[in-house]
Amino acid sequence: MNGLLKRRSQVSSFIIVVSIIILTYYVFISVWPLVFNIYMSLSKTDLMTGWKIIWFRNYISIFKDSIFLKALKNNIIYLLVMVPLGIFTSLIIAALLYKVKGFTKKIYIGMIFSPVVTSMVAISLIWKLLYFPNGGIFAQIISKVFHITPPLFLDDPKTALICIIIMDIWRDTGLRTVILHAGMEEIPQSIYEASQIDGISPVTQFFRITIPLLRPQITFLAAIYSINAIRVFSQVYMMTGNPPGGPAHSTQVLVLRMYQEAFYSTRFGTGAAIAMVIFILLFGLVLLEIKSFQQKWEY
Amino acid sequence: MLKRKKFNGYKVKRYVSVTVLHILLIILSLTMIFPFLWMVIASFKPNIDIISVDFKLFSSNWTLEHYRKVLSEMPVGRAYFNSLLVATVVTVSVIFTSSAAGFLFSKLRFRGRDVLFFIVLASVMIPPQIVLIPLYFMISKMHLVNTYPGLIIPFMMSAFGVFLMRQFTYGIPTELIEAARMDGASDWRIYFKVILPLVKSSIAVVGILTFLWTFDEFLWPLVTVNSKEMMTLPLILAKYAMAEGGVVAGSSMATTTLVVIPVLIVYAFFQRFFVSGMSMTGLKG
Repeated sequence: MNGLLKRRSQVSSFIIVVSIIILTYYVFISVWPLVFNIYMSLSKTDLMTGWKIIWFRNYISIFKDSIFLKALKNNIIYLLVMVPLGIFTSLIIAALLYKVKGFTKKIYIGMIFSPVVTSMVAISLIWKLLYFPNGGIFAQIISKVFHITPPLFLDDPKTALICIIIMDIWRDTGLRTVILHAGMEEIPQSIYEASQIDGISPVTQFFRITIPLLRPQITFLAAIYSINAIRVFSQVYMMTGNPPGGPAHSTQVLVLRMYQEAFYSTRFGTGAAIAMVIFILLFGLVLLEIKSFQQKWEY
Repeated sequence: MLKRKKFNGYKVKRYVSVTVLHILLIILSLTMIFPFLWMVIASFKPNIDIISVDFKLFSSNWTLEHYRKVLSEMPVGRAYFNSLLVATVVTVSVIFTSSAAGFLFSKLRFRGRDVLFFIVLASVMIPPQIVLIPLYFMISKMHLVNTYPGLIIPFMMSAFGVFLMRQFTYGIPTELIEAARMDGASDWRIYFKVILPLVKSSIAVVGILTFLWTFDEFLWPLVTVNSKEMMTLPLILAKYAMAEGGVVAGSSMATTTLVVIPVLIVYAFFQRFFVSGMSMTGLKG
């Protein structure tokens, strides 16, 4: 028995091989690139002709760049609108679904969830046409049903960003709803019955019992959608045409700005500096995500 | 008599509220699938009827023109092949690396394990967008720009896959592994014969999610692909985003239909896996 235990504490070839694969891959694909990105963000380079260390000048220049500041502001608006509105609408839908049982529920979930599995790039393209000014279907519905002049949607700097956010909220409604709905099903029925005896109305129940008990799910969703709001790219690129981020930089976002600085203007140092800003913004959010992810698994 | 009337009133009220509930949910469900229905209808209509001030959902002149045009002008078949190839290789790689790492981190003890796990955790903190520029620099130094390896390498392992499989593998009773060890099985044998069969359903979840994300990946191919032959499906779609909306409306919707419908059909058959998998992790690419 003793000999057996001793043999176990030896490192097997499986441990060595898998460890080496993991170590090499992650050092190569994320740790080293991050270090390299920091170095790039302190240099001036077009990747071809030369490198010059210019220390913090890239950072100073991006914070003087009005387009970058606009992008930063837009990402924050995106987060502040999408996260609460998305969670709130999904809470209501989840509460509706909670009342339905069996096969019909499966059908509803199936339909509500379908945009989640569909490519964001494809969905953006569809919505771009739905939003088409004047001749598009949304504009037509607004003018025919409500008899008012429809907005120009994506063509108007005032409405463009909010149009993209609405599309984004629509797209992930199913995912948030299913997560919240699963949380609702875990709440013991006895709590509701007890409060019913006390004469508490269903609306009060929803705000006083359901929402507080769903806190782990809501935190989790707030974390992942904040991350998504900071990382948003494809939607903006696909929906705002040529050049992306328009009209008048009203839909400019950080990842797009980074992409443009690096690959349009070949200012890779500036792009790397923007990447560092995104990294810092994401850092706390990812920590929150991992924490709530683990909590979710402790059930 | 009075009592009975009251009972009926309650029943009617309940019936009304159930009906209202279903009406709300039906409206909602239709809102969710409407853009897809509109996409399919639009792909068979002449451009002039898609964007039109004279609004009608259906057209009197159905046409296959857009599909003919798309299939002859755009390398859709090739893009399908590229997307499927990249997504398949990435998925197979992620499945094996995640489940092996999951076993490693949850059931095996060795020196340095925590440091190694910290590195994996750290790379969750470093999403691909952040290292886009240095990664592009590395891939171009290795002359892998515009190649399949260039599209595949950055996604071959998934930190979240490792995370997830570690959680799943925890659930396997350690006695099973100990028993296999008593019989003289090596860790490799235990991984293939004990662990893999037991985490099959979790692997299905990780596999489906990885496949979808890779299939939809946009920014990385946008940066690294520069020829028509290497384009993936999202890049084909991006071509339309850059053109004047009204002019390419029909062909862009035909292409989108070709991209979206197969995924939705697979989803219809395996809804359970998609819904439970995605809601379990709450993640998207």
